[in-house]
Amino acid sequence: MARTLAMFTDTSLCIGCRACQVACKQWNELDMEVPDWTGSYQNHTHFTDKTFRLVRFIEEPGGKPNGELAWLLMSDVCKHCADAGCLNACPTGAIYRTEHGTVNINQDVCNGCRYCVSACPFGVVSFNEQTGTAKKCTFCNDRIHNGLGPACAKACPTESIQFGFRDELVGRAQKRVEVLKSLGFKEAQLYGADSNGFLGGLNAFFLLLAKPATYGLPDNPRLPQKNVLVESVLSIGSALLVGLGALVAFRQRRGGGEE
Amino acid sequence: MALLQSPHWPVLIDVYFFLGGLAGGAFVIATIANLLDARRFRDVSRAGYYLALVALIPCPIILIVDLGVPVRFMNMMRTFNLLSPMSMGAWALLGFSACAFLAALITLLEDAGRGRNLGRAKTAVGVVGAFFGFFLAAYPGVLLSATAQPLWAGGHALGALFLAVGASTGAAAVALVLLLVGRRAADGMTPLRTMLVLALVIQLVAVAVFVLTVQGSDSVASAHALTTLTSGAYSLTFWLGAIVVGSVLPLLIGLADFKRRSPGLTALAAVLVLVGGFLVKYVIVAAGQA
Repeated sequence: MARTLAMFTDTSLCIGCRACQVACKQWNELDMEVPDWTGSYQNHTHFTDKTFRLVRFIEEPGGKPNGELAWLLMSDVCKHCADAGCLNACPTGAIYRTEHGTVNINQDVCNGCRYCVSACPFGVVSFNEQTGTAKKCTFCNDRIHNGLGPACAKACPTESIQFGFRDELVGRAQKRVEVLKSLGFKEAQLYGADSNGFLGGLNAFFLLLAKPATYGLPDNPRLPQKNVLVESVLSIGSALLVGLGALVAFRQRRGGGEE
Repeated sequence: MALLQSPHWPVLIDVYFFLGGLAGGAFVIATIANLLDARRFRDVSRAGYYLALVALIPCPIILIVDLGVPVRFMNMMRTFNLLSPMSMGAWALLGFSACAFLAALITLLEDAGRGRNLGRAKTAVGVVGAFFGFFLAAYPGVLLSATAQPLWAGGHALGALFLAVGASTGAAAVALVLLLVGRRAADGMTPLRTMLVLALVIQLVAVAVFVLTVQGSDSVASAHALTTLTSGAYSLTFWLGAIVVGSVLPLLIGLADFKRRSPGLTALAAVLVLVGGFLVKYVIVAAGQA
Protein backbone atom coordinates (compact mmCIF):
# COMPACT_ATOMS: atom_id res chain seq x y z
CA MET A 1 0.00 0.00 0.00
CA ALA A 2 1.13 3.45 -0.84
CA ARG A 3 1.80 5.91 1.95
CA THR A 4 -1.48 6.91 3.55
CA LEU A 5 -2.86 10.21 2.35
CA ALA A 6 -4.83 12.48 4.63
CA MET A 7 -6.62 15.77 4.96
CA PHE A 8 -5.99 17.89 8.03
CA THR A 9 -8.68 20.48 8.71
CA ASP A 10 -7.37 23.16 11.07
CA THR A 11 -10.57 24.84 12.21
CA SER A 12 -8.61 27.69 13.87
CA LEU A 13 -7.72 28.97 10.38
CA CYS A 14 -11.18 28.65 8.85
CA ILE A 15 -12.83 31.95 7.89
CA GLY A 16 -16.13 30.40 6.76
CA CYS A 17 -15.80 31.44 3.11
CA ARG A 18 -17.12 28.06 1.92
CA ALA A 19 -14.75 27.96 -1.05
CA CYS A 20 -14.22 24.28 -0.14
CA GLN A 21 -17.94 23.57 -0.27
CA VAL A 22 -18.28 25.26 -3.66
CA ALA A 23 -15.15 23.65 -5.09
CA CYS A 24 -16.43 20.25 -3.96
CA LYS A 25 -19.80 20.83 -5.62
CA GLN A 26 -18.19 21.99 -8.86
CA TRP A 27 -15.49 19.36 -9.20
CA ASN A 28 -17.81 16.49 -8.32
CA GLU A 29 -20.68 17.93 -10.39
CA LEU A 30 -23.10 17.77 -7.47
CA ASP A 31 -26.57 19.10 -8.23
CA MET A 32 -28.13 22.23 -6.84
CA GLU A 33 -30.24 21.89 -3.70
CA VAL A 34 -32.94 23.93 -2.01
CA PRO A 35 -31.17 25.87 0.77
CA ASP A 36 -31.90 25.19 4.45
CA TRP A 37 -32.66 28.09 6.76
CA THR A 38 -30.57 27.09 9.76
CA GLY A 39 -30.60 30.35 11.70
CA SER A 40 -26.93 30.91 10.91
CA TYR A 41 -24.78 31.12 7.80
CA GLN A 42 -24.58 27.33 7.78
CA ASN A 43 -26.15 25.68 4.76
CA HIS A 44 -27.13 22.82 4.80
CA THR A 45 -27.99 21.62 8.28
CA HIS A 46 -26.21 18.41 7.51
CA PHE A 47 -24.39 16.38 4.89
CA THR A 48 -26.61 15.39 1.99
CA ASP A 49 -26.22 13.22 -1.07
CA LYS A 50 -25.15 16.40 -2.87
CA THR A 51 -23.11 18.13 -0.14
CA PHE A 52 -19.90 16.31 0.74
CA ARG A 53 -18.04 19.29 2.28
CA LEU A 54 -20.02 21.31 4.77
CA VAL A 55 -18.85 24.36 6.70
CA ARG A 56 -20.42 24.35 10.14
CA PHE A 57 -21.04 27.72 11.87
CA ILE A 58 -21.25 27.38 15.63
CA GLU A 59 -21.74 30.12 18.22
CA GLU A 60 -20.26 29.22 21.59
CA PRO A 61 -20.83 31.70 24.44
CA GLY A 62 -17.65 32.32 26.43
CA GLY A 63 -15.61 30.21 24.06
CA LYS A 64 -12.86 32.75 23.35
CA PRO A 65 -9.73 33.01 25.57
CA ASN A 66 -10.97 36.46 26.73
CA GLY A 67 -14.39 35.06 27.59
CA GLU A 68 -16.25 36.51 24.64
CA LEU A 69 -18.55 34.59 22.38
CA ALA A 70 -16.58 32.31 20.08
CA TRP A 71 -17.70 31.97 16.50
CA LEU A 72 -16.48 28.50 15.67
CA LEU A 73 -16.14 27.47 12.04
CA MET A 74 -15.46 23.96 10.91
CA SER A 75 -15.26 22.58 7.43
CA ASP A 76 -16.61 19.07 7.96
CA VAL A 77 -16.17 16.11 5.65
CA CYS A 78 -16.14 12.30 5.52
CA LYS A 79 -13.49 11.14 7.98
CA HIS A 80 -12.21 8.22 5.87
CA CYS A 81 -11.88 6.17 9.08
CA ALA A 82 -9.14 3.55 9.31
CA ASP A 83 -11.82 1.23 10.78
CA ALA A 84 -14.84 2.33 8.79
CA GLY A 85 -18.36 1.38 9.87
CA CYS A 86 -19.77 1.93 6.37
CA LEU A 87 -17.13 -0.26 4.75
CA ASN A 88 -17.64 -3.10 7.23
CA ALA A 89 -21.44 -2.87 6.89
CA CYS A 90 -21.53 -2.95 3.08
CA PRO A 91 -23.00 -6.29 1.91
CA THR A 92 -22.06 -5.83 -1.75
CA GLY A 93 -18.41 -4.83 -1.52
CA ALA A 94 -19.26 -1.53 -3.20
CA ILE A 95 -17.48 0.37 -0.41
CA TYR A 96 -13.74 -0.18 -0.63
CA ARG A 97 -10.46 1.19 0.64
CA THR A 98 -8.10 2.66 -1.90
CA GLU A 99 -4.35 2.11 -1.88
CA HIS A 100 -4.05 5.60 -0.37
CA GLY A 101 -6.12 4.64 2.68
CA THR A 102 -9.25 6.54 1.66
CA VAL A 103 -12.76 5.02 1.66
CA ASN A 104 -14.80 5.17 -1.51
CA ILE A 105 -18.19 3.92 -2.80
CA ASN A 106 -18.18 2.18 -6.17
CA GLN A 107 -21.29 3.69 -7.76
CA ASP A 108 -21.52 0.87 -10.30
CA VAL A 109 -21.80 -1.79 -7.58
CA CYS A 110 -23.86 -0.12 -4.81
CA ASN A 111 -27.45 -1.39 -4.86
CA GLY A 112 -28.87 1.11 -2.40
CA CYS A 113 -29.59 -1.05 0.66
CA ARG A 114 -28.76 1.96 2.93
CA TYR A 115 -27.10 -0.14 5.63
CA CYS A 116 -23.97 2.05 5.38
CA VAL A 117 -26.13 5.14 6.01
CA SER A 118 -27.18 3.69 9.36
CA ALA A 119 -23.66 2.50 10.21
CA CYS A 120 -21.73 5.76 9.85
CA PRO A 121 -20.96 7.16 13.33
CA PHE A 122 -20.74 10.67 11.82
CA GLY A 123 -23.86 10.63 9.66
CA VAL A 124 -21.80 11.23 6.53
CA VAL A 125 -23.11 8.65 4.06
CA SER A 126 -26.32 9.80 2.35
CA PHE A 127 -28.79 8.12 0.05
CA ASN A 128 -29.40 9.59 -3.40
CA GLU A 129 -32.95 9.00 -4.65
CA GLN A 130 -32.06 9.73 -8.30
CA THR A 131 -29.24 7.21 -8.64
CA GLY A 132 -30.59 4.88 -5.93
CA THR A 133 -27.11 4.62 -4.43
CA ALA A 134 -25.22 5.81 -1.36
CA LYS A 135 -23.08 8.92 -1.74
CA LYS A 136 -20.28 10.53 0.20
CA CYS A 137 -16.97 12.37 -0.18
CA THR A 138 -14.66 10.43 -2.51
CA PHE A 139 -11.51 12.22 -1.28
CA CYS A 140 -11.55 13.38 -4.92
CA ASN A 141 -10.53 9.91 -5.96
CA ASP A 142 -10.02 10.99 -9.57
CA ARG A 143 -7.77 13.89 -8.54
CA ILE A 144 -5.55 12.05 -6.05
CA HIS A 145 -4.92 9.33 -8.61
CA ASN A 146 -3.65 12.00 -10.97
CA GLY A 147 -1.28 13.72 -8.59
CA LEU A 148 -3.67 16.47 -7.50
CA GLY A 149 -4.99 17.21 -4.03
CA PRO A 150 -8.73 17.18 -3.26
CA ALA A 151 -10.64 20.12 -4.69
CA CYS A 152 -11.59 21.46 -1.24
CA ALA A 153 -7.96 21.58 -0.05
CA LYS A 154 -6.89 23.19 -3.33
CA ALA A 155 -9.54 25.91 -3.03
CA CYS A 156 -9.00 26.73 0.65
CA PRO A 157 -7.48 30.27 0.81
CA THR A 158 -6.21 30.02 4.41
CA GLU A 159 -4.70 26.53 4.42
CA SER A 160 -7.34 25.50 6.93
CA ILE A 161 -7.64 22.34 4.82
CA GLN A 162 -4.26 20.74 4.23
CA PHE A 163 -3.61 17.71 2.08
CA GLY A 164 -0.60 15.44 2.27
CA PHE A 165 0.92 12.30 3.73
CA ARG A 166 -0.76 11.39 6.98
CA ASP A 167 2.38 11.06 9.14
CA GLU A 168 3.67 14.48 8.06
CA LEU A 169 0.31 16.16 8.62
CA VAL A 170 -0.07 14.67 12.12
CA GLY A 171 3.36 16.08 13.11
CA ARG A 172 2.39 19.50 11.78
CA ALA A 173 -0.98 19.35 13.54
CA GLN A 174 0.57 18.52 16.91
CA LYS A 175 2.88 21.56 16.69
CA ARG A 176 -0.08 23.74 15.80
CA VAL A 177 -1.98 22.59 18.92
CA GLU A 178 0.98 23.62 21.08
CA VAL A 179 1.06 27.07 19.48
CA LEU A 180 -2.68 27.57 20.01
CA LYS A 181 -2.50 26.44 23.62
CA SER A 182 0.28 28.93 24.31
CA LEU A 183 -2.01 31.62 22.85
CA GLY A 184 -4.68 30.73 25.41
CA PHE A 185 -6.93 28.36 23.47
CA LYS A 186 -7.14 25.86 26.32
CA GLU A 187 -9.50 23.46 24.57
CA ALA A 188 -7.43 23.25 21.37
CA GLN A 189 -7.22 19.56 20.50
CA LEU A 190 -6.81 17.13 17.66
CA TYR A 191 -9.74 14.94 16.68
CA GLY A 192 -8.97 11.60 15.06
CA ALA A 193 -5.22 12.17 14.60
CA ASP A 194 -4.22 9.30 16.90
CA SER A 195 -4.07 6.06 14.91
CA ASN A 196 -4.29 4.14 18.21
CA GLY A 197 -7.41 6.09 19.15
CA PHE A 198 -11.04 5.61 18.12
CA LEU A 199 -11.82 3.96 14.76
CA GLY A 200 -8.11 3.35 14.19
CA GLY A 201 -7.65 7.06 13.50
CA LEU A 202 -9.30 9.24 10.88
CA ASN A 203 -7.65 9.94 7.53
CA ALA A 204 -9.49 13.24 7.51
CA PHE A 205 -8.71 14.58 10.98
CA PHE A 206 -9.35 17.90 12.63
CA LEU A 207 -7.97 20.51 14.96
CA LEU A 208 -10.81 21.74 17.15
CA LEU A 209 -10.98 24.80 19.42
CA ALA A 210 -13.65 23.33 21.70
CA LYS A 211 -14.83 19.96 22.87
CA PRO A 212 -15.94 17.63 20.05
CA ALA A 213 -19.56 17.73 21.29
CA THR A 214 -19.64 21.49 20.61
CA TYR A 215 -19.22 20.68 16.92
CA GLY A 216 -21.76 17.85 17.08
CA LEU A 217 -18.99 15.25 16.90
CA PRO A 218 -19.17 12.15 19.11
CA ASP A 219 -16.55 12.13 21.88
CA ASN A 220 -15.60 8.53 21.42
CA PRO A 221 -17.24 7.05 18.33
CA ARG A 222 -17.48 3.29 18.33
CA LEU A 223 -17.16 0.90 15.43
CA PRO A 224 -20.75 -0.41 15.03
CA GLN A 225 -19.54 -3.91 14.16
CA LYS A 226 -18.10 -4.29 17.66
CA ASN A 227 -21.64 -5.32 18.69
CA VAL A 228 -21.83 -8.24 16.28
CA LEU A 229 -20.06 -10.83 18.42
CA VAL A 230 -21.91 -10.17 21.70
CA GLU A 231 -25.31 -9.97 20.02
CA SER A 232 -24.62 -13.16 18.06
CA VAL A 233 -23.72 -15.01 21.25
CA LEU A 234 -26.92 -13.76 22.95
CA SER A 235 -28.93 -14.85 19.90
CA ILE A 236 -27.37 -18.32 20.05
CA GLY A 237 -28.33 -18.48 23.73
CA SER A 238 -31.90 -17.58 22.84
CA ALA A 239 -31.85 -20.20 20.05
CA LEU A 240 -30.65 -22.89 22.47
CA LEU A 241 -33.47 -22.08 24.89
CA VAL A 242 -36.08 -22.20 22.13
CA GLY A 243 -34.63 -25.38 20.63
CA LEU A 244 -34.33 -27.22 23.93
CA GLY A 245 -37.78 -26.01 24.97
CA ALA A 246 -39.27 -27.34 21.74
CA LEU A 247 -37.53 -30.70 22.23
CA VAL A 248 -38.94 -30.99 25.74
CA ALA A 249 -42.40 -29.80 24.66
CA PHE A 250 -42.69 -32.33 21.85
CA ARG A 251 -41.20 -35.09 23.97
CA GLN A 252 -43.82 -34.76 26.72
CA ARG A 253 -46.52 -36.10 24.46
CA ARG A 254 -44.68 -39.26 23.57
CA GLY A 255 -45.27 -41.16 26.78
CA GLY A 256 -48.56 -39.45 27.50
CA GLY A 257 -50.24 -41.90 25.12
CA GLU A 258 -53.72 -41.26 23.82
CA GLU A 259 -53.15 -43.75 21.05
CA MET B 1 -26.41 16.20 19.53
CA ALA B 2 -24.75 13.68 17.38
CA LEU B 3 -25.56 14.26 13.74
CA LEU B 4 -26.57 10.87 12.46
CA GLN B 5 -28.51 9.86 9.38
CA SER B 6 -31.37 7.40 9.32
CA PRO B 7 -31.56 4.69 6.66
CA HIS B 8 -35.32 5.40 6.34
CA TRP B 9 -36.25 1.75 6.02
CA PRO B 10 -40.00 1.62 5.32
CA VAL B 11 -42.65 -0.50 7.08
CA LEU B 12 -42.21 -3.07 4.32
CA ILE B 13 -38.87 -3.99 5.93
CA ASP B 14 -40.69 -4.64 9.22
CA VAL B 15 -43.04 -6.92 7.29
CA TYR B 16 -39.98 -8.79 6.02
CA PHE B 17 -38.51 -9.04 9.54
CA PHE B 18 -41.87 -10.44 10.70
CA LEU B 19 -42.34 -12.93 7.86
CA GLY B 20 -38.71 -14.09 7.89
CA GLY B 21 -38.88 -14.71 11.64
CA LEU B 22 -42.22 -16.49 11.34
CA ALA B 23 -40.92 -18.69 8.52
CA GLY B 24 -37.78 -19.55 10.50
CA GLY B 25 -39.76 -20.30 13.66
CA ALA B 26 -42.35 -22.46 11.86
CA PHE B 27 -39.56 -24.39 10.11
CA VAL B 28 -37.68 -25.07 13.36
CA ILE B 29 -40.86 -26.32 15.05
CA ALA B 30 -41.70 -28.52 12.07
CA THR B 31 -38.21 -30.01 12.12
CA ILE B 32 -38.28 -30.79 15.85
CA ALA B 33 -41.76 -32.32 15.58
CA ASN B 34 -40.60 -34.39 12.62
CA LEU B 35 -37.41 -35.50 14.41
CA LEU B 36 -39.15 -36.65 17.58
CA ASP B 37 -42.06 -38.51 16.05
CA ALA B 38 -42.61 -38.07 12.34
CA ARG B 39 -45.84 -40.06 12.33
CA ARG B 40 -47.61 -38.64 15.36
CA PHE B 41 -46.66 -35.04 14.74
CA ARG B 42 -47.17 -35.24 11.00
CA ASP B 43 -49.85 -32.53 11.14
CA VAL B 44 -47.46 -30.12 12.86
CA SER B 45 -44.53 -30.74 10.52
CA ARG B 46 -46.77 -30.53 7.45
CA ALA B 47 -48.28 -27.24 8.56
CA GLY B 48 -44.86 -25.91 9.59
CA TYR B 49 -43.05 -26.73 6.36
CA TYR B 50 -45.82 -25.45 4.11
CA LEU B 51 -46.19 -22.32 6.19
CA ALA B 52 -42.44 -21.65 6.16
CA LEU B 53 -42.41 -21.65 2.36
CA VAL B 54 -45.55 -19.52 2.04
CA ALA B 55 -44.26 -16.95 4.54
CA LEU B 56 -40.86 -16.94 2.86
CA ILE B 57 -41.96 -16.27 -0.72
CA PRO B 58 -42.69 -12.53 -0.24
CA CYS B 59 -39.38 -11.99 1.62
CA PRO B 60 -36.88 -11.71 -1.24
CA ILE B 61 -39.43 -9.71 -3.25
CA ILE B 62 -39.81 -7.17 -0.42
CA LEU B 63 -36.04 -6.86 -0.03
CA ILE B 64 -35.40 -6.45 -3.75
CA VAL B 65 -38.16 -3.87 -4.21
CA ASP B 66 -36.75 -1.83 -1.33
CA LEU B 67 -33.28 -1.53 -2.89
CA GLY B 68 -32.26 1.76 -4.49
CA VAL B 69 -31.26 -0.18 -7.61
CA PRO B 70 -33.35 -3.39 -7.52
CA VAL B 71 -31.71 -4.94 -10.61
CA ARG B 72 -28.44 -5.09 -8.66
CA PHE B 73 -29.85 -7.39 -5.97
CA MET B 74 -27.41 -10.11 -6.98
CA ASN B 75 -24.55 -7.86 -5.83
CA MET B 76 -25.42 -9.10 -2.33
CA MET B 77 -23.76 -12.37 -3.41
CA ARG B 78 -20.45 -10.69 -4.32
CA THR B 79 -19.09 -10.84 -0.77
CA PHE B 80 -19.22 -13.03 2.30
CA ASN B 81 -18.70 -10.48 5.05
CA LEU B 82 -18.79 -12.00 8.54
CA LEU B 83 -18.87 -8.54 10.14
CA SER B 84 -21.92 -7.42 8.18
CA PRO B 85 -25.16 -9.00 9.40
CA MET B 86 -26.82 -7.85 6.19
CA SER B 87 -24.32 -9.81 4.10
CA MET B 88 -24.70 -12.88 6.31
CA GLY B 89 -28.48 -12.44 6.28
CA ALA B 90 -28.55 -12.43 2.48
CA TRP B 91 -26.67 -15.74 2.46
CA ALA B 92 -28.90 -17.19 5.20
CA LEU B 93 -31.99 -16.19 3.21
CA LEU B 94 -30.58 -18.02 0.20
CA GLY B 95 -29.77 -21.13 2.23
CA PHE B 96 -33.10 -21.09 4.02
CA SER B 97 -34.99 -20.65 0.75
CA ALA B 98 -33.40 -23.79 -0.65
CA CYS B 99 -34.25 -25.80 2.49
CA ALA B 100 -37.79 -24.42 2.79
CA PHE B 101 -38.44 -25.28 -0.86
CA LEU B 102 -37.07 -28.81 -0.51
CA ALA B 103 -38.87 -29.50 2.77
CA ALA B 104 -42.20 -28.34 1.32
CA LEU B 105 -41.57 -30.38 -1.82
CA ILE B 106 -40.85 -33.56 0.16
CA THR B 107 -43.96 -32.94 2.27
CA LEU B 108 -45.98 -32.52 -0.90
CA LEU B 109 -44.59 -35.77 -2.34
CA GLU B 110 -45.49 -37.55 0.90
CA ASP B 111 -48.99 -36.12 0.72
CA ALA B 112 -49.25 -37.52 -2.78
CA GLY B 113 -48.17 -40.91 -1.50
CA ARG B 114 -44.78 -40.84 -3.24
CA GLY B 115 -42.51 -40.06 -0.34
CA ARG B 116 -41.71 -43.52 0.86
CA ASN B 117 -37.93 -43.26 0.67
CA LEU B 118 -37.63 -39.58 1.47
CA GLY B 119 -37.61 -39.80 5.29
CA ARG B 120 -33.84 -39.36 5.61
CA ALA B 121 -33.69 -36.58 3.05
CA LYS B 122 -36.47 -34.80 4.92
CA THR B 123 -34.58 -35.10 8.21
CA ALA B 124 -31.37 -33.78 6.66
CA VAL B 125 -33.09 -30.85 4.94
CA GLY B 126 -34.99 -30.15 8.15
CA VAL B 127 -31.89 -30.04 10.36
CA VAL B 128 -29.85 -27.87 7.96
CA GLY B 129 -32.84 -25.62 7.36
CA ALA B 130 -33.49 -25.26 11.09
CA PHE B 131 -30.05 -23.69 11.54
CA PHE B 132 -30.76 -21.28 8.69
CA GLY B 133 -34.22 -20.69 10.17
CA PHE B 134 -32.79 -19.67 13.53
CA PHE B 135 -30.33 -17.41 11.75
CA LEU B 136 -33.04 -15.81 9.62
CA ALA B 137 -35.15 -15.06 12.69
CA ALA B 138 -32.30 -13.59 14.74
CA TYR B 139 -30.05 -11.72 12.31
CA PRO B 140 -32.26 -8.63 11.82
CA GLY B 141 -31.82 -7.86 15.52
CA VAL B 142 -28.04 -8.21 15.27
CA LEU B 143 -28.17 -6.10 12.11
CA LEU B 144 -29.88 -3.27 13.97
CA SER B 145 -27.36 -3.52 16.83
CA ALA B 146 -24.44 -3.16 14.41
CA THR B 147 -25.32 0.39 13.39
CA ALA B 148 -24.51 3.82 14.76
CA GLN B 149 -28.16 4.49 15.71
CA PRO B 150 -28.25 5.19 19.46
CA LEU B 151 -31.39 3.17 20.26
CA TRP B 152 -30.43 0.00 18.40
CA ALA B 153 -26.72 0.02 19.25
CA GLY B 154 -27.22 1.20 22.83
CA GLY B 155 -28.57 -2.01 24.34
CA HIS B 156 -28.27 -5.78 24.21
CA ALA B 157 -30.39 -8.76 23.19
CA LEU B 158 -32.11 -7.42 20.04
CA GLY B 159 -31.03 -10.56 18.16
CA ALA B 160 -32.24 -12.78 21.02
CA LEU B 161 -35.53 -10.86 21.04
CA PHE B 162 -36.08 -11.21 17.30
CA LEU B 163 -35.34 -14.94 17.52
CA ALA B 164 -37.88 -15.40 20.33
CA VAL B 165 -40.47 -13.44 18.33
CA GLY B 166 -39.76 -15.73 15.37
CA ALA B 167 -40.39 -18.75 17.58
CA SER B 168 -43.58 -17.36 19.15
CA THR B 169 -45.08 -16.16 15.85
CA GLY B 170 -44.02 -19.40 14.15
CA ALA B 171 -45.73 -21.52 16.83
CA ALA B 172 -48.80 -19.26 16.74
CA ALA B 173 -49.09 -19.47 12.97
CA VAL B 174 -48.74 -23.30 12.94
CA ALA B 175 -51.38 -23.61 15.69
CA LEU B 176 -53.75 -21.30 13.81
CA VAL B 177 -53.33 -23.24 10.58
CA LEU B 178 -54.07 -26.52 12.39
CA LEU B 179 -57.19 -25.02 13.97
CA LEU B 180 -58.35 -23.52 10.70
CA VAL B 181 -58.09 -26.82 8.82
CA GLY B 182 -59.99 -28.57 11.60
CA ARG B 183 -57.10 -30.44 13.24
CA ARG B 184 -57.92 -29.15 16.70
CA ALA B 185 -57.29 -32.55 18.25
CA ALA B 186 -53.94 -33.02 16.49
CA ASP B 187 -51.24 -34.59 18.66
CA GLY B 188 -49.03 -31.54 18.33
CA MET B 189 -51.45 -28.99 19.78
CA THR B 190 -50.32 -29.34 23.38
CA PRO B 191 -46.60 -29.01 22.59
CA LEU B 192 -47.46 -25.99 20.44
CA ARG B 193 -49.20 -24.38 23.40
CA THR B 194 -46.08 -25.03 25.50
CA MET B 195 -43.87 -23.53 22.77
CA LEU B 196 -46.04 -20.45 22.60
CA VAL B 197 -45.76 -19.81 26.33
CA LEU B 198 -42.01 -20.53 26.42
CA ALA B 199 -41.25 -18.25 23.48
CA LEU B 200 -43.37 -15.46 24.99
CA VAL B 201 -41.43 -15.68 28.24
CA ILE B 202 -38.09 -15.44 26.40
CA GLN B 203 -39.53 -12.59 24.34
CA LEU B 204 -40.55 -10.61 27.42
CA VAL B 205 -37.20 -11.23 29.14
CA ALA B 206 -35.34 -10.11 26.00
CA VAL B 207 -37.41 -6.90 25.74
CA ALA B 208 -36.69 -6.16 29.39
CA VAL B 209 -32.95 -6.78 28.91
CA PHE B 210 -32.95 -4.52 25.86
CA VAL B 211 -34.78 -1.63 27.52
CA LEU B 212 -32.77 -1.87 30.73
CA THR B 213 -29.40 -2.09 28.99
CA VAL B 214 -30.20 0.92 26.79
CA GLN B 215 -31.27 2.81 29.89
CA GLY B 216 -28.11 1.81 31.74
CA SER B 217 -25.72 2.53 28.85
CA ASP B 218 -23.21 5.34 29.33
CA SER B 219 -24.34 6.95 26.08
CA VAL B 220 -26.56 10.00 26.62
CA ALA B 221 -27.82 9.71 23.05
CA SER B 222 -29.00 6.14 23.66
CA ALA B 223 -30.81 7.01 26.86
CA HIS B 224 -32.45 9.91 25.05
CA ALA B 225 -33.44 7.74 22.07
CA LEU B 226 -35.04 5.25 24.44
CA THR B 227 -37.60 7.86 25.53
CA THR B 228 -39.04 7.80 21.98
CA LEU B 229 -39.93 4.19 22.65
CA THR B 230 -40.90 4.26 26.30
CA SER B 231 -42.53 7.66 26.81
CA GLY B 232 -42.57 9.44 23.45
CA ALA B 233 -44.32 9.07 20.12
CA TYR B 234 -44.14 5.27 20.06
CA SER B 235 -44.84 4.57 23.72
CA LEU B 236 -48.51 3.62 23.25
CA THR B 237 -47.72 1.17 20.45
CA PHE B 238 -44.87 -0.22 22.50
CA TRP B 239 -46.47 -0.60 25.95
CA LEU B 240 -50.07 -1.26 25.01
CA GLY B 241 -49.63 -2.93 21.62
CA ALA B 242 -46.37 -4.86 21.77
CA ILE B 243 -46.13 -5.59 25.50
CA VAL B 244 -49.61 -5.78 27.05
CA VAL B 245 -51.84 -6.95 24.18
CA GLY B 246 -49.13 -8.67 22.15
CA SER B 247 -47.12 -10.48 24.84
CA VAL B 248 -48.50 -10.42 28.40
CA LEU B 249 -52.14 -11.06 27.49
CA PRO B 250 -51.43 -14.07 25.23
CA LEU B 251 -49.01 -15.36 27.87
CA LEU B 252 -51.79 -15.32 30.49
CA ILE B 253 -54.26 -16.87 28.04
CA GLY B 254 -51.67 -19.48 27.13
CA LEU B 255 -51.13 -20.38 30.79
CA ALA B 256 -54.88 -20.71 31.35
CA ASP B 257 -55.08 -22.76 28.16
CA PHE B 258 -52.72 -25.42 29.57
CA LYS B 259 -55.56 -26.91 31.60
CA ARG B 260 -58.54 -25.92 29.50
CA ARG B 261 -57.07 -26.94 26.13
CA SER B 262 -59.71 -24.87 24.44
CA PRO B 263 -59.33 -24.27 20.69
CA GLY B 264 -60.94 -20.87 21.10
CA LEU B 265 -58.41 -19.73 23.68
CA THR B 266 -55.49 -21.11 21.66
CA ALA B 267 -56.70 -19.28 18.56
CA LEU B 268 -57.12 -16.03 20.47
CA ALA B 269 -53.64 -16.30 22.00
CA ALA B 270 -52.16 -17.13 18.59
CA VAL B 271 -53.74 -14.10 16.91
CA LEU B 272 -52.52 -11.81 19.70
CA VAL B 273 -49.02 -13.25 19.41
CA LEU B 274 -48.95 -12.56 15.68
CA VAL B 275 -50.10 -8.98 16.21
CA GLY B 276 -47.67 -8.44 19.10
CA GLY B 277 -44.77 -10.04 17.23
CA PHE B 278 -45.20 -7.65 14.34
CA LEU B 279 -45.66 -4.64 16.60
CA VAL B 280 -42.56 -5.28 18.70
CA LYS B 281 -40.37 -5.41 15.57
CA TYR B 282 -42.15 -2.49 13.95
CA VAL B 283 -41.93 -0.25 16.99
CA ILE B 284 -38.22 -0.88 17.57
CA VAL B 285 -37.34 -0.22 13.92
CA ALA B 286 -39.56 2.88 13.81
CA ALA B 287 -38.42 4.38 17.12
CA GLY B 288 -34.77 3.80 16.17
CA GLN B 289 -35.26 5.81 12.99
CA ALA B 290 -37.30 8.60 14.56
